[in-house]
Amino acid sequence: MMLSRRVLSKEEETETTDNEVTKEDQEKINEFSRLHSRSKVIEEELEGKKKEKEDLEEVTTELELADEDELVRYRIGDTFTHLPLPTAQKLLEESGTEVDSEVSRLEDEISSMKEQMDALKAHLYARFGRGINLEG
Amino acid sequence: MASTSQEPTSTNPRGIPTFPFLPTPQDYIKDSTVEATLNRFQEMISKYNFMSQNVERRAAGLREKLPEMKKSLDTVKFLRMQKEGGPDEGDDDEDEDDDAEGKEGRLDVTFPLQDTLYSHATINTSQLDSVYLWLGANVMVAYPLAEAESMLADKLSKAKQSLRAAEEDLEFIRAQTTTLEVATARVHNWDVGEKRRLKAEGNDKSESKDADGDGDD
Repeated sequence: MMLSRRVLSKEEETETTDNEVTKEDQEKINEFSRLHSRSKVIEEELEGKKKEKEDLEEVTTELELADEDELVRYRIGDTFTHLPLPTAQKLLEESGTEVDSEVSRLEDEISSMKEQMDALKAHLYARFGRGINLEG
Repeated sequence: MASTSQEPTSTNPRGIPTFPFLPTPQDYIKDSTVEATLNRFQEMISKYNFMSQNVERRAAGLREKLPEMKKSLDTVKFLRMQKEGGPDEGDDDEDEDDDAEGKEGRLDVTFPLQDTLYSHATINTSQLDSVYLWLGANVMVAYPLAEAESMLADKLSKAKQSLRAAEEDLEFIRAQTTTLEVATARVHNWDVGEKRRLKAEGNDKSESKDADGDGDD
């Protein structure tokens, strides 16, 4: 995203405004740019967490079918510890709640960033029309 | 380049210089030419890009290390829990003698000996007091469990902080590059407008240093 450097066609040019870029505009453009790249980072992080959440849910269902008399090999760090089923389930539940709260934190962050970006977009398009491109 | 002397060059907390926003395109050009100014911008953009690549690499390194630190911390936490929850509790719980191996204070583990090779070990958790932490530089130190936990937690939070700092640097660099790109567009647009005006006045003094002149209407 940036002030377009290509030469605009005549029609496009009439759709741009002659507004000079003010310091305030520049700050808004920078903020938009910052949010844009940050939202990409957060989205990636969220994807990873969601995958983790799915995996944990899968394991939870799997463990419901496990034999209670047998020890579960539960992975902690790089080591598999041999634990009684209830202990493993408890640990699993703890990881589950941790991931859940991470996921909702990231989702909240993304939606608030989206809101701010929309507001900035509305403002900047109103000022510069086709002279600015804030997509992608 | 001692050109932008109007504002003392400020920097972000980690010493990355700010590219100042100036109110009009002419402020950037001053007594230089349009072409020289645009070249100067281009050069600064590549400098910022270079910095950004370095910081990006540092951030990637940290992102790789974080899960490992988390693993160590999780393991120490777990061992502590086993030790503390072990010997004195569980007598009247349903911890009967249904599992021969689940004897109190004993923990069986399958641990990686090599990347694809695992072995078996039994840890006597009731007598487990310390763990060995690899400090780097070929040094390993025994720590009491509680101390190991707080140290690892501390290291983890420090690593998270420096990752956040690296991310902030990237955002800062991005803002400077954006300002530069906007400045490039402003100077360019100003130049086009200026040429049109001169042409309209009929005294275009062939100031066509900037070669992509589209001032043909």
